[in-house]
Amino acid sequence: MPSDRRLHPFSILFGLGSQLRQFVIPGILVLVTARSAGGDWQAWSMLFLIPYSLAVIARYASFRYRYEDHELVIRTGLIFRNERHIPYARVQNINAVQNVLHRLLNVIEVHIETGGGQEAEAKMKVLPVDALDEMRRRVFADRQPGGIAAETESVPALPAGRVLLHLSPRELALSGFIDSRGLVVIAAAFGLLWEVGLLDRTVDRFFGEQDSGRGLVREVVRAIYAGGQLPLDRLALMFGAFIALLGLIRLLSMAWAAIRLHGFTITRTGDDLKTEFGLLTRVVTTIPLRRIQTLTVREGPLHRLFGRAAVRVDTAGGDHNERGATQREWLAPIIPRARLTPFLTEVLPELDLSAVEWHGVAPRAVRRAFVEWMVVAGFIAVPFAFFPSWWDLAVAALLIGWAALAAKKTIGHTRWATTPDAVLYRSGWIRRQLSVARFAKIQVVTMHESPFDRRTRMRSVKVDTAGAADASHRVDIPYLPREIAIDLYHALASNAGGTTFKW
Amino acid sequence: MIPIVESPVLSEVQGSSSIADGVERRLDPRVVDLERTIGWIVTAVVSAGLFFAGVITLIAARSMPGWAMAAVVIVWLAVTALLAWWLQRWPTIYYRYASYVVDAEGIEIRLGVVWRTVTNVPRSRVQHTDVSQGPLERRFGLGTLLIHTAGTDAAVVVLHGLAHETALAIRDHLLPRGGADAV
Repeated sequence: MPSDRRLHPFSILFGLGSQLRQFVIPGILVLVTARSAGGDWQAWSMLFLIPYSLAVIARYASFRYRYEDHELVIRTGLIFRNERHIPYARVQNINAVQNVLHRLLNVIEVHIETGGGQEAEAKMKVLPVDALDEMRRRVFADRQPGGIAAETESVPALPAGRVLLHLSPRELALSGFIDSRGLVVIAAAFGLLWEVGLLDRTVDRFFGEQDSGRGLVREVVRAIYAGGQLPLDRLALMFGAFIALLGLIRLLSMAWAAIRLHGFTITRTGDDLKTEFGLLTRVVTTIPLRRIQTLTVREGPLHRLFGRAAVRVDTAGGDHNERGATQREWLAPIIPRARLTPFLTEVLPELDLSAVEWHGVAPRAVRRAFVEWMVVAGFIAVPFAFFPSWWDLAVAALLIGWAALAAKKTIGHTRWATTPDAVLYRSGWIRRQLSVARFAKIQVVTMHESPFDRRTRMRSVKVDTAGAADASHRVDIPYLPREIAIDLYHALASNAGGTTFKW
Repeated sequence: MIPIVESPVLSEVQGSSSIADGVERRLDPRVVDLERTIGWIVTAVVSAGLFFAGVITLIAARSMPGWAMAAVVIVWLAVTALLAWWLQRWPTIYYRYASYVVDAEGIEIRLGVVWRTVTNVPRSRVQHTDVSQGPLERRFGLGTLLIHTAGTDAAVVVLHGLAHETALAIRDHLLPRGGADAV
């Protein structure tokens, strides 16, 4: 009989801690107001904490798990008993998070994810650190034929892993520098606040009214359209401040990446990829290679400038849009271009990127993309049509030139390929992305024809896989010549149908 | 150019009268009647809504010239007639462009008049299937087949307007067989 295991006794502590956190601020408020009001009754309301504490203790006391031959069994509940069986074969990945407090107390929080549902199937808060190793061995050892029996108390250790990628603090800072794009939004928001006049009320106190930025854009527009004086000195000041803010944000982002992803290491043990990172909160995730649904390589303009790329994977487990603590979808937040091909060979052994024969889309696609750009530009132009000026012509010429260039370049970079067991798709000119979907992971194949496609004898072919996040790069190949689209569609459908899907 | 892996036939086609014969089929013709019935209901609701909106406008704008009132009535009649005509016409067009093929490999669905889509779900990717029947569908003997896959955007593939028996037959055919761990 496999022996029952329990959570670490510190679970009570962390359970109480997370309850307390919800009560701390209201609690302090209650105490403060109780003192000032001179009444005692508010303080008594803190007694509400007691049932919560009891629940936490009961949860700890009733939580049991054990390793059966082929499944993990978790029992919870004192009054309403719940027994959950998770077959090892269904486990997608095991994630572990360890924050500073966890590390001080030598415990770890473990999430087990299977294909179903939005949440992790089992959250174990908290386990002793060595329990994680045991879990990983038992759960993932079962997959090999003749896996270890659960009864044998001595579990053979897995062979030592091979390090595929280790990121130095310098690389991580670079990754933070490259990825801080999202924070530009914050800068823009600051600018907007400034423009509306919310910020300058405070700023005016420091710099005096002359330097405040309120209505700068308004003034510039007036200068252009009504022939006023361009406020050049203030523009320069604004510009300088904006650049400084951007620089500051980049710096913060670099520091944050270096802390959050500190010591980022990927090891391959057998057929599992183990990712470890984090200075304060330590995260360890394990993804079996065959659980990778799709793989995407991203290269933005800054990536190319520094000769780097980022690699992302979609797995079926857990919440796909979660950008929370585990961040397990980043296989490599940054990797030197030169090491990309050998790295991908380790992750997808069947894939040889250098041998892939890429195909372009239909030549007429450039014209269609140009028209699409022009339609967007047309919508942007509508408000300007009410204030005609010579500037508009210059802007229009610039927009048309840009649209022509962007259409040509974007279509030039839209390419697809098939290998004996996967379909590849790359897109984007400035931000380039390349996705690989293996036939064995393809769920549904669709072919689409819009009225515009029909006119130009084109079609698009799309592949749907499990676990794609909202922002994931989909294998959705547009502007294919019709005959090629039909061939590709049939090839993908019959190849997907001919393989057995195993999550 | 595109490598095609010869895939083994997954299982024997059950019986000679099986639905899985690889023949392109249309939806059940009764779907046109169903859609038209729904069309009448939608027309009635929209028309009634517009009618009340018009009445309220007339009451609110106390003194309205006769021609304006006539215009309101004419617009209302025109919108109702146009909507009714379109919702009676559309189902036949939709029907003409909808078809499906079931074979040993899986199911292929073609839908759409202006934006056309062909969807292929391999049998090995079917997680589970539902056949649902609303009150109107029950009246016309129709059913809707819902095919659930592990996919993201196509997590549910819906085929609407099948005869209820056909939907059940396709469901039975697509049911994952035991043995192999397809999940």
